[in-house]
Amino acid sequence: MADKRTDDTNSFLVDTYFQKMARRSGGIPREQALENAQFAIDKIRLGFGDWLDAESDALIAEIRKGTMASPGDVRWAEAALTHARQIRDVGTTMGFELVSFITNNLCEMFEAIITGASPRNEMINCHIDALLLAKQEQYRHLRPEQLPELSGGLRRILEVANNPAVATEK
Amino acid sequence: MTSQTINLKGLMFIVADPNPYFSRIVVGLLRSFGANNIAEVRNSFDAIRTLNGQKVDILLCDEKLPPHGGLQVAHAIRKKKDNDNRTVPILIMAGDTRESIVKIARDAGANMVIAKPLSPASLYDRLTWIAFNPRQFIDTATYFGPDRRFKVEPIPDGVGQRKGDKTEAPPAPSSAPTSPAMAQNEIDTLFKPARTG
Repeated sequence: MADKRTDDTNSFLVDTYFQKMARRSGGIPREQALENAQFAIDKIRLGFGDWLDAESDALIAEIRKGTMASPGDVRWAEAALTHARQIRDVGTTMGFELVSFITNNLCEMFEAIITGASPRNEMINCHIDALLLAKQEQYRHLRPEQLPELSGGLRRILEVANNPAVATEK
Repeated sequence: MTSQTINLKGLMFIVADPNPYFSRIVVGLLRSFGANNIAEVRNSFDAIRTLNGQKVDILLCDEKLPPHGGLQVAHAIRKKKDNDNRTVPILIMAGDTRESIVKIARDAGANMVIAKPLSPASLYDRLTWIAFNPRQFIDTATYFGPDRRFKVEPIPDGVGQRKGDKTEAPPAPSSAPTSPAMAQNEIDTLFKPARTG
């Protein structure tokens, strides 16, 4: 099966057990599968509010630690990044796009801090305030584009946080 | 992407993600698609232990899976010559989809990268793509995994390995944002081989 491409390179076709079996007849058609998936998500969503509250509290607690940390100690940012990522990664799937948008910005800020940027507490706090707002019933199912002033402002803050020179240019 | 049907019954899935809530969503989606044999792991040690100890049919792995990262897991699986799972399809789930990260995933031997947060349709379509597109594998002294050549328009002939393709162990991805995130369709393009021969 293998065909020699060069002296030290072998190339061969791999049709794995997964691939062979997944191509069998009798599977769930796409439309039906996606309908089932929506039902599954609706069930999982029932506990999402409580989980989001717990993760947000943990995120805020780590940020508080950051205000007391020594310069150069980024352990708080690493822990905060974990919580922000967890929220970001499930928010949109659960229908909380604004929450994912805000925590994605926070992820970028924490990543920058971990790689040496100075923490900008006021910018982080703006995002936390936005997150607390986005969790509320009247906001949680909105998309960032439905709140252009809020999302535009947060984008601008992130831009400045990632590149302080931008603030003086504009 | 496709409208083909996949049959996942009886296939062994490993979902490797540190976030229990995200993992619960992925398992819920897979069950909705017909999968009935799914194991969850939360770290790279358990992922590698599972892949060394039992037959696994497909791995869905977080790119940031602690402590080593999902790309190191992919590389470890591909390089171990006596591992029955060496050619297992690997789908990397990444919240960070900058082009540099996606390329490192490809160079680590991933079959596909799917962007987080994921939607049911994107997961179903990528599983279908993997199922219906058996890949040519490449075995060299420094790389083992799916053929990384892909169509590079408008380069003459349209086929070739990019100059920057890595052949060693995946480097630790930089955390500093250096390029915009790629959309899922752009990621898909990087994983579609230009030819199968």
